[in-house]
Amino acid sequence: MKRLLPFIIILGVLGVAVGAVVYMSRPKTVGNSPASAANSTAQARPSPAPTLGPVKTGVPGADPPHTLGPATAPVRIEEFGDFECPPCGAFHPILKQMRQEYGDKLFITFRENPLPIHDHAIPAASAAEAAGMQGKFWEMHALIFEHQNDWKLAFDVRPIFEGYAKQIGLDVERFKHDSTSDRVEQRIFLDGKRARSLGVNSTPTVFINDREVPFQLLPPETLRVLIDNELRAASQK
Amino acid sequence: MIGIFVVSVENTDFRTTTKWIYVVATVLALVGLTDALYLTIQHLSGSSVPCSVTGGCEEVLTSSYAVLAGIPLAGIGAAAYFSAFSLSILAAFGYRSAAKLLLPLVGTMVLVSVWLFYLQAAVIRAFCQFCLLSAGITIALAIVVFLAWKKGS
Repeated sequence: MKRLLPFIIILGVLGVAVGAVVYMSRPKTVGNSPASAANSTAQARPSPAPTLGPVKTGVPGADPPHTLGPATAPVRIEEFGDFECPPCGAFHPILKQMRQEYGDKLFITFRENPLPIHDHAIPAASAAEAAGMQGKFWEMHALIFEHQNDWKLAFDVRPIFEGYAKQIGLDVERFKHDSTSDRVEQRIFLDGKRARSLGVNSTPTVFINDREVPFQLLPPETLRVLIDNELRAASQK
Repeated sequence: MIGIFVVSVENTDFRTTTKWIYVVATVLALVGLTDALYLTIQHLSGSSVPCSVTGGCEEVLTSSYAVLAGIPLAGIGAAAYFSAFSLSILAAFGYRSAAKLLLPLVGTMVLVSVWLFYLQAAVIRAFCQFCLLSAGITIALAIVVFLAWKKGS
């Protein structure tokens, strides 16, 4: 029995590990996703040719913007998002996936575009911006999007966002102060101003190298084609 | 497969101190396995990893270096820690060939950890606390395994 004991323990640990990965790694589904919306559109009519809109520059947004990746990357993706909009929540893992696949070839910018139809969009944007003032915008951005269903129906979202601030190690008192500061308000205003100048009236609105991506092309399979096209064009320059 | 290999060379004439050193290695490998499994699960479920100490988890874990040939790096780490765990526990039970295999495995893990630390520091320019924990465990594991090997040889 003693001879067999380590093998039994090894098999036990293997079973627990495999079980945990299979059970706990089921992706969280969000309704109203751009992927499902686009898929249903695609089924209704022939798949659209992956084309982008005309080049638009607009007025500058908040400076410095929240970015990921090198500024010299051949593909610049700029998202105008509202933390409370479900398709924005669904687009978050898609963009994350693109970043994993393309890495340093992408330069991603997130711009605040809280829509008036959403009660908590401005507090959510303020929370992300306040986290940004302590260098943790992307951590807060991820938490807010991934827990969208946990806070969007809440009456008062401030304690929830303060909980996230604590979770990512922010100075909570400073976070509370910054959330209502003029600087945060100004950043959201400037991003919104940029959105208006580019004709953005819904979220998520995404630009690739300053050209608007039609909403139905936001699922990963079509987004990939657009990114590949841009990479090809950049390599031919 | 590891088991089949080591069963044939079982040797129960291990000194008690060496066995206990391998027990420590087993525990360290189990902690490393838990850390790597957590990151694997977060990666596969598309969840973010809260980073309260270093603040760079999102940058590191969504970078292109987080995936190798379509496999999450954390999953490869979990496989390495599971192998280290299996070999350590077998070594603790007196399977000497498991002890011999453990040294090159942990050596490779240290080299990979050094490379990943370099990537975080110089390329991605952000640190992920769970990755640093894994590097720390690997180094501790290497020290323990080396001590056991010195005592056993």
